[in-house]
This record gives sequence, C-alpha cells and structure tokens, in this order.
Amino acid sequence: MNPLARKTAGLAASIGPGVTWITLFLFLPGLLMGVLAFMSNSPYGQPTLPFTTAAFSQVAGYSFLGWSPGNIEVIGRSLLQALYATFATIALAYPLAFLIARAPERRRAGLLMLVIIPSWTNQVVRAYAWMQILAPGTPLSHLAVTLGLLPQHMGLYPSSFAVSMGLIYNYLPYMVLPLYASVEKLDWRLVDAARDLYANGWRVFWHGVFPQTVPGLLAGIILVAIPSFGAYIVPKLLGGDRSVMLGNLIAQQFSSMPNWPFSAALTLVMLLFTFLGLILFRRMARRLNAGEANLL
Amino acid sequence: MKRTSLVIRISQSVAIATLAFLWLPLFVVVAFSFEPEAAAVHLTGFTFAWYERVWEQGGMLHALYLSVELGLGSAILGTVIGALLAVGLHRYRGRGFAVLALIVYLPIVMPDVIYGISQMVFFNYLHQLIGWPRAGLVTMGIAHVSFQIPYVALVVYARLVGLDRNLVHAAADLYASPWKSVYAFWLPVLKPALIAGFLLAFTLSLDDFVISFFTSGPGSVTLPIYIWGTIARHGVTPETNAIASLMIGAVLLVALGQTFIRARRNGHLLTDTA
Amino acid sequence: MKTLKYLIPLALAAVLPVTASAQETLNLFNWTDYMNPKVIKQFEKKYHVKVVQTYYSSNAELLAKLMAGGDSQYDVVVPSSYLIQRLVETHLIRKLNKAELPNFKNLAPQFQNTSYDPHDTYAIPYQWGTTGLAYDTRKFKNPPQTWGILFDKKVNPSYPFAMMGGSGQDIIGAACAYQGHGMGCDKLADWKSAAKLLIETKQRHNFVGFVDGTPALHQLEKGIIAAGLVYNGDLAQAMENSPEATKYIKYIIPKGGAEIWVDNMAIPSHAPHPKLAHEFINFILDAKIGAELSNWNVYASPNAAAKPYLDKVLNSRLVQPTAAEWKRLQFVPVLKGEKLTQFKAIWSAVREH
Repeated sequence: MNPLARKTAGLAASIGPGVTWITLFLFLPGLLMGVLAFMSNSPYGQPTLPFTTAAFSQVAGYSFLGWSPGNIEVIGRSLLQALYATFATIALAYPLAFLIARAPERRRAGLLMLVIIPSWTNQVVRAYAWMQILAPGTPLSHLAVTLGLLPQHMGLYPSSFAVSMGLIYNYLPYMVLPLYASVEKLDWRLVDAARDLYANGWRVFWHGVFPQTVPGLLAGIILVAIPSFGAYIVPKLLGGDRSVMLGNLIAQQFSSMPNWPFSAALTLVMLLFTFLGLILFRRMARRLNAGEANLL
Repeated sequence: MKRTSLVIRISQSVAIATLAFLWLPLFVVVAFSFEPEAAAVHLTGFTFAWYERVWEQGGMLHALYLSVELGLGSAILGTVIGALLAVGLHRYRGRGFAVLALIVYLPIVMPDVIYGISQMVFFNYLHQLIGWPRAGLVTMGIAHVSFQIPYVALVVYARLVGLDRNLVHAAADLYASPWKSVYAFWLPVLKPALIAGFLLAFTLSLDDFVISFFTSGPGSVTLPIYIWGTIARHGVTPETNAIASLMIGAVLLVALGQTFIRARRNGHLLTDTA
Repeated sequence: MKTLKYLIPLALAAVLPVTASAQETLNLFNWTDYMNPKVIKQFEKKYHVKVVQTYYSSNAELLAKLMAGGDSQYDVVVPSSYLIQRLVETHLIRKLNKAELPNFKNLAPQFQNTSYDPHDTYAIPYQWGTTGLAYDTRKFKNPPQTWGILFDKKVNPSYPFAMMGGSGQDIIGAACAYQGHGMGCDKLADWKSAAKLLIETKQRHNFVGFVDGTPALHQLEKGIIAAGLVYNGDLAQAMENSPEATKYIKYIIPKGGAEIWVDNMAIPSHAPHPKLAHEFINFILDAKIGAELSNWNVYASPNAAAKPYLDKVLNSRLVQPTAAEWKRLQFVPVLKGEKLTQFKAIWSAVREH
C-alpha cells in the first residue's frame, strides 16, 4: 500500500463511522426540517407542495386573522428567561466556585460532587421536585402570599417565576464547574497586587480576580444560556401555558396543533438564535484572548 | 482588610445557601415519599406504603431494565465510534479540520427539542421509504449514539493531545499491521480515556429525556419516560415521589461507588470528567 | 440504502441484547386510566399474547403520534368521535373486517351506523360520556351553573382555574356555549368571538394553564386549581376510589351546553398485528367484558348486551345525564378542509397570545 492510500484508508476507518453517523442521523434530519419549513401546510398539518414562505410569515405573527405579537413574545420570553438564568447562575456560582477552590484540597472533590450529583438525577425529576415545593398551599407559596408578592389563593407554581427557578436550578452546575476550573488556577500574586492597590474588596475582585476567571465565565455562559433558551421540560412542567417558551411552541405546533411547516420554521429560528449567540461569544472570547472558551 | 473579610464571609454564606438550594428539592421529594398522607403539605408520619404500591404496579422495573439496556448498548457503540473519531481527528489534522470540528460540536450545541423532533421526523420518513427503522429502542439507540459520539471524542481527544507526538509516530512505525498497533499500543494508552468516555456516554444516555421522548416507540418506555408518564398523568403523587426517590438513591449509589473507586486508584478524590 | 438497512440493525443488534419475546404483542394506545387491568389480563390469557399499553391525554396527542409514524406501531387506538373523519382522510386508520367482529351485534342500535362513521367502516364505540365543568364547592358557594365559572371574572376573581387544551375543539365549544352560540358552533364569526373571550380569559392572573381532562381532575383534587373541564367518568371513578379527595368536587353540564362524545376503537393503517387487533376489539364487545370495562371505568357503555352485568353506579346522574341535561348536550363539529384550516388558525392564535 502506498502512503497516500494508507492515509486515506486510515482516515476512512477512523473518522468514517463517526462522520457518517452524525451526517446521516443529525445533519440530514436537520436539513429535512429546513426543507419542511418551506413547504405548505395541509389542513391536517402535514407538509405538502408547493414550496412557500408562509410558515415564516406565520412566525412573524401574520395569519388570516391579522397580525399578532404572540410568537415574537414567545421568542422574547425565551431570550429573557435565558438571560435571567445566566445572570442568576453567575451570581450564585462565583461564591460557590470560590468556596470550593479555597477549601483544603482533600475536601474539594467532595464539594464538587455535592454540586454535580443533583444534576445526575434526570431533569424530569428535578423539575418535578419544584412542582411540589412551589404548589399552592405549600409553605413557600403561603409566604409569598403573606408578603404580598402573590395574589390571594395562587401558588408559585405554575408560573414564569417557577420556570426561572427551574432553569436556574437545572443549569447552575454548568456554571459552577467551568468557573471553578478558572478559580482553581487563579494566580494569587495578581490578587495580592490588586489588594495593595485598592482598599475596596469589590475593586480587588474586579481588577484582581475577575479578569482571570473570564475564560471559565464565558464557557459557563455558553453552557447555561444555550440550553436555557432551548428549554422544553422545565417550562412544560413548571410554566403552565402562560409562560410558554420557544421549545414548547415548537413541540406544540409539531404535535397538538399540528402544523409541521410552522414548527420547522420555528426550529430554524431557534437554531439561528443559537448560532448567532455562539458566534457572538466566539468573537468575544477571541478578543479577550480567552483560550479555554475558544471552543472550536 | 476587615472589609475584605466581610465580603468573603458574605460570599461563603451565599455559597453554602447555594449548596442547600441544590439539595433541598431532592430532600423534599425523598421526605414526602415516606409521608403517609397522600395530599400532605407538611410531614406527618412515616410509611413504606408508596414504595410497596410502586412495586406492585410493576412497569417500573421493566423501564429500568430498558434504560440500562439502552444505556449500555448505546454507550458501547458511542465509545467505539467516538474514540475512532478522536484518533482520526488527532492524526489527520488538515484543512478539513474545521468542518470536522463542527461535526463534533453540532450535537453538543443543538437544543434538545430540535434534536429530538428532527430525528423523529427523519426516522418517520425513512420508515415510510425503506420500512426501517420502527420507532423504539433502535431509533432511541441511534439518537443516543449520535449525541454520545462527540462527548466521547472530546474526552479521548484530550488524552491524545496530552500524549507525546513522537511516541505516537514511533508506535505507528513499530507495528507492522494497524490491528496490532491497536491492541498493543492504542488500547492500553487510551484505556483511562475510554473508560471515562464510556461512563460519560452511559450517564448521558440515562440523563436524557427530551431526545428519548421524541424518538421512542410504544415498546420502549425507559425509566425517564415512565416517570414522565406518571407526572404528566397524575402530577405530584406519593407514588411518583417514591419512584423519583429511588432514582435519586440510585444516582447517589453510583456517585459514591465512583468516588470510592477513584479514591482507591488515585489516592485522592479529584475528578476529571464534567 | 439497502446495505445500510441491514448494516445498522446488525451493528445495533450486536450490542443491544434485544429481548425478543416469542409471544405476539398487541400495542394498545389508549387514554390514561381508561382500561381495566383485569380485562387486559383475561385477554392475554385467552389469546396467549402480551398487551403493551401506552397512554395519551388528548385527541391531539393521539393524532400527532399517528402522524409521526404511530400508524405502523400501534394495533388499536381509541379516538373520539369528531376525530374519526380526520383519521380516515389522512389514511391513518384502516377499514375493519366486520366478519372478524361477531360481537358487533351486541352494540346498542344508536351506536351502530353512527353519523361520524356511517356503515361502521372504521370505528367501533368503546365508551361514551360528557365533558363538563367541575369546581371546588369550598371555593364557589352557589355559583351560576354556567361556563361563567371559568369565563366571568366576577364569578371567579381570584381562584386558580384551568382550561382544556389539546385540539381546542372542547374549549372553543365551551366558549361558544357561554356566548350563546352552542357547543356545536362552527361559524367563523362565532369562533372569532370565542377566541377573543379565551384570549381575554388567558390574560387573567388566576388562569394557570391549558390542562387536559384527566390531569385537570387530579389538580382539582389537590387544590391546585378550583375549576376546570373534566370527563364525567373520570370523576365518577375517582369518587368510588377516593371519596375523601373528591368530596368537594361538583360536576355540572352548564346552562349554555356541553360536549357529549363517543370514544371508538380503531386500527391504524399499518398496524403490525391487525388480526390480533380485531380479536381485541371483538373481545371488548363481549357482553361480560364490556360490563367489566364500564364497571371499572365508570363510563357509560355502548354495549347493550352488557346491561345485565353493569354496576348500579352506572345509573347515577353523573354517568347518565337527565332529560334536561340531554337537551344541552351536543357533539363538537367534525371539521375538514378549509374549515379545519380556519379553526386551527383560530386555536393557534389563542395558544400563542
């Protein structure tokens, strides 16, 4: 065998199965959705010819009833929920990452496990647990009513608050882990230098610590924001229908309505937002020269 | 200096409260699985009755069995294909590398709902076209392998990057047949990464709900789908609490076992998987 | 493509120790809590087969599953009357072979040759019942017996309530009935004003979501909602099984009208075991089995021969509507073509708002 042939054979044998598998069972289905999005909707919800962009004007809110902001609101709500989840997990993850990183070495692994184990229980179980805690009549709901945060007789579940809660709970570990990795590698000499310069604790953090944790932070943001934006189970179980997110709308238009072309068009919209977010982040990561977040 | 320590103290309290936040829901589920009163808001007593009820209903054990079958089957296939992909990517870094990297990252960033629905539609059309595959463990298996491949590839790739390049080239020259080099060189060298990749793949399979939900068929009710069914139909019930508690218990057992094994092997507890 | 077809299952079969059972399997796709487990056991024993039951909570869910390949996975499905024509037109269910259903004669005459399936070509009645309004009597003291319990914020200013989701025909019908257009409304103008009412209702702070019938009853029992749409037999069954939890639930056929339906057994067009499916349908049509089914379900039976074996509870007002209630009961319309497209646009608008 000549070297070139050998190299080709080796390449085919090694990356061949993986590339084939993912092309066949992920790329192709994705492309199919792309095609469906441009097809007409039959009265029964199945895609038919001719090709049209009707599904996309429906995404924009147009139907024979006129224009409605419904879909735009759903997309906006999903972005907002992703934003809440990201900020809340950042706020909670920093202290926790520091607690673990500053703990004696023999206790760190145990603490890490305390963060990881809850995320190993299935996400359905995790959302279910919150249904129980936030239902009407539970201590937390009572408290919220007494404090005047919640109207009389209502529960914290189902609501968009419950959705936020569920998302934060679900994705918190994904923020803690990369942040911890950054904090653990922190150069404390730089922190000390900052301490000499600034008296204020926050400024020490801002100038001495924060810049060093940016790679972990960026990785965490990607790991939290993307799945929160595309969440399905948490809003489905905790949301009720007033806090539908994009993932639910896609599933609903795919199943109970059904309107496959519309569902496929919404899918493309979700992918578009996801990839735009990723590209934005890659740019930011490059500019900050944050090697670790430079995923590709 | 005093102000800094105050900041640190606040930060530590927040951290501990956050840990409690991570565990509270699980405690609530477990606690209420032992509560005799069906519609209780506060704990009033202790009973095993709900566990007995779950046991009598059956279904759950079969679901667990299917979950393990799916997890093991897909993880084996996923590990083999993922590891091969990593080796190829590492060895033949060339111009097409960026495209290949996309193949690795696409499944990781694709939202679950889209993943599941597009595969369901695809399998459906494929079935109409060639009479295969029928929705069930096979379609779930194909889907699971497709999201396991990239994670396994990343784990193995990380190990390969850590290897000495010259060593790899020497190995390539040393063994006459590629097969020999596989089991004499690659397998032993990659063993830790393969084990880690396999465990990760297995965990991913057990943890997945959304993709499984959309690609499953009538005969493939795995544990997460079974739990989903009871929640969707009956909401919060003591029986569901009992099933969920069993699942939490199983996860704890696996985690403790893994920590124990690692501690014995490494002498310390540090984990390297995500 | 051909080689692929064989290679992939081979690869999977190599690693997946697939539990190949020698026994034939009947895949039954049914509503939640809608089948007496003892009936299944008897069928399994008589025919030496295994029955795998999967569940859905709305006709919409059933339709979606059948469209997504379920027509080649399930052997028997149980769609409601208004869905039958849609399933026929999309070729999702097949013609029945009447010769294989000798027990068909057991059906009461009014359940043969029905309006939604003339000549009984595709569907065999399973149970029938009503979808009414249920509320918590601790939270509503003598409310007007109308859909206003849901739609009028003066009647219910603060208690959480749910509406039925799914295909939307039930809740749009209810809104129509409240506005005086009747449960069976099918005019675009009526739908539009119903949609307007629903969208307004959705904006109220105490609306908690679209919940299907069976889960809605569970939420009522637990006090998560104070009013919602439920199926009569579900409540009758819950009253038998857990009288404590259902003590304060009242079921009404509201003044403006409510929905009556017949659920039917049908065989998907590419069912894997059509012969067994016929045997199953025939089995359910048996007099004693039909009675066991209704006695457990606490839904009214279309099976005339089953009558002597039925429990007394099946004569209760909840299961058998009074003459006055009969006048208010209506089927929801069978929709197709342009009408269906319009209806779906309306329902879609309601859901998206």
